[in-house]
Parts: sequence; structure tokens; C-alpha cells
Amino acid sequence: MILSFFDQFMSPTWLGVPLIALALTLPWIMYPTPSSRWLNNRLLTLQGWFINRFTQQLLLPLNLPGHKWALIFTSLMIFLITLNLLGLLPYTFTPTTQLSLNMGLALPLWLATVIIGLRNQPTAALGHLLPEGTPTLLIPVLIIIETISLFIRPLALGVRLTANLTAGHLLIQLIATAVFVLLPLMPAVAILTATVLFLLTLLEVAVAMIQAYVFVLLLSLYLQENI
Amino acid sequence: MGGHDAGTQHQFTGIAKYFNSYTITGRRNCVLATYASIAAIVLFFKLKPKKQKAVTAS
Repeated sequence: MILSFFDQFMSPTWLGVPLIALALTLPWIMYPTPSSRWLNNRLLTLQGWFINRFTQQLLLPLNLPGHKWALIFTSLMIFLITLNLLGLLPYTFTPTTQLSLNMGLALPLWLATVIIGLRNQPTAALGHLLPEGTPTLLIPVLIIIETISLFIRPLALGVRLTANLTAGHLLIQLIATAVFVLLPLMPAVAILTATVLFLLTLLEVAVAMIQAYVFVLLLSLYLQENI
Repeated sequence: MGGHDAGTQHQFTGIAKYFNSYTITGRRNCVLATYASIAAIVLFFKLKPKKQKAVTAS
């Protein structure tokens, strides 16, 4: 059996049973259940503090009707950040490397913001497609461009997350293979490459958190325009 | 980036009252007009009867 570098992105199965559902519910067991005590232990307090702070910051630019989205945004953020960070462990499958999952998250949420905008404030929603102060001759061109950019949004959201995570995991695997192969041949070069690998892993930790945040932030921005 | 006016200070006359890029309704009307034109062009080419070349006696 020849292993290729893309085997790490194959949806996991065991004896023919797909394990993707297990991979997706894994973040659930990572977080402690909230208790009914007023003063919790350190872990719960930290978790509650982080969730409250994040929700507060994210909802700052949103008006009151937008606050209905607090639960979905925060839970989406925690879901994505956990999946991304868990995927950095060796031999762990990262569900967010699958375009199907990311598009499944991005497209319905983006469509929801568009439909909300068109239903509640159709004039403003349509008016956003033409930037203010456009010269008369450029009006049709800009409307077409803005419409295209509107429809590109869900694609960009999904592909951004997929590409960032896939590229990161692939790079880690490639450089790790290089270190492994170089070790008996040129130990000094191997140590240098290992340093690069260490720095890359740190970068991937940052990318994992940033990409999850960017996904949710962009959705909140799209909501801002439409609510 | 560019002057941000509320769009309320503009006093438009004529067609610019409905189709301008400053007021929100003006922008909306421009968008709708562009979409309508594109739909009209597409419909025109779809519904155009295909000309058949006359058969010449050889």
C-alpha cells in the first residue's frame, strides 16, 4: 500500500464504518458542563469568562436584532477553534479540511443574512450593491461587480478555511518527512529543518485560531450589513 | 475615503431624482434598473426567432 501525502485528509472509517460523526462530536467532550453553582471551579470560570468576553466583543457592532445570533456565532467559533486545534495533534483527522463541511457551514449562514436583509430592509439591502458616490458611467459595471462579489462570499468563506488548514497540514507533513529523511544523511540540515518545523507548528496553531475567528467575524460583518 | 454625506442634502431634479448614486433609494433604483436591463437582454436573445436560410435551387 503506497501512502500519499493526501491520506491524512481522507474521511476516517473503521471496518467500513464512517467515523466522521465521531470526529465532529469530539469537541463536545472537551468542554466541562456548566454547573448550577454560583462560584465554579477555575476551568468553568475561565470557560465562562472567555465565552462572555468573545460574545461581547463580537456583538459590539451589531444592533439589537442582531443579538439573536449570539448563540450561533459563539458556538460556531468554539466548534471551529476546537476542531482546528485538535487537528494539529499527530495522526488526528481535521474535519475542517473537508470543503463539504465548510461549505455546509458557510452557504446556509451567508444565505440567511442575505434573506434577512432582503426581507426586512429590501431597499437598503439592494442599495448596498452600489457604492455611494459612484460616477454615472461606472454604475452598471459596479453593480455587476458587486453582485458577483456578493455571490462569491460563501465560496470564499468555505474555501478560505479549507485551503488554510489543508495547506498547513500538508506543509507540516512534508517538512516532517524531510527531517526524517535527512536525519541519517545530513544531521545538521535535518536539525535546521526541524527548527523550521517547530516554527511552522507554532504558526499553524495561530492559523487554526485565526481562521476560526475570521470565519465567524466575516459572517457577523455580513449580518451587520443586512440586519 | 470620499465625502460621506447623508444623501439628504442633494436636491436632484429630473431623472436624477430617481436614479442617482447618493441616496439609498437612488442606488436601489439603479440596481433594479441594471438587473431589469440584463434580464431584458437575456430574454430578447432567448425569444428571438431563429432565422432559417432559404433553400436555393441548384
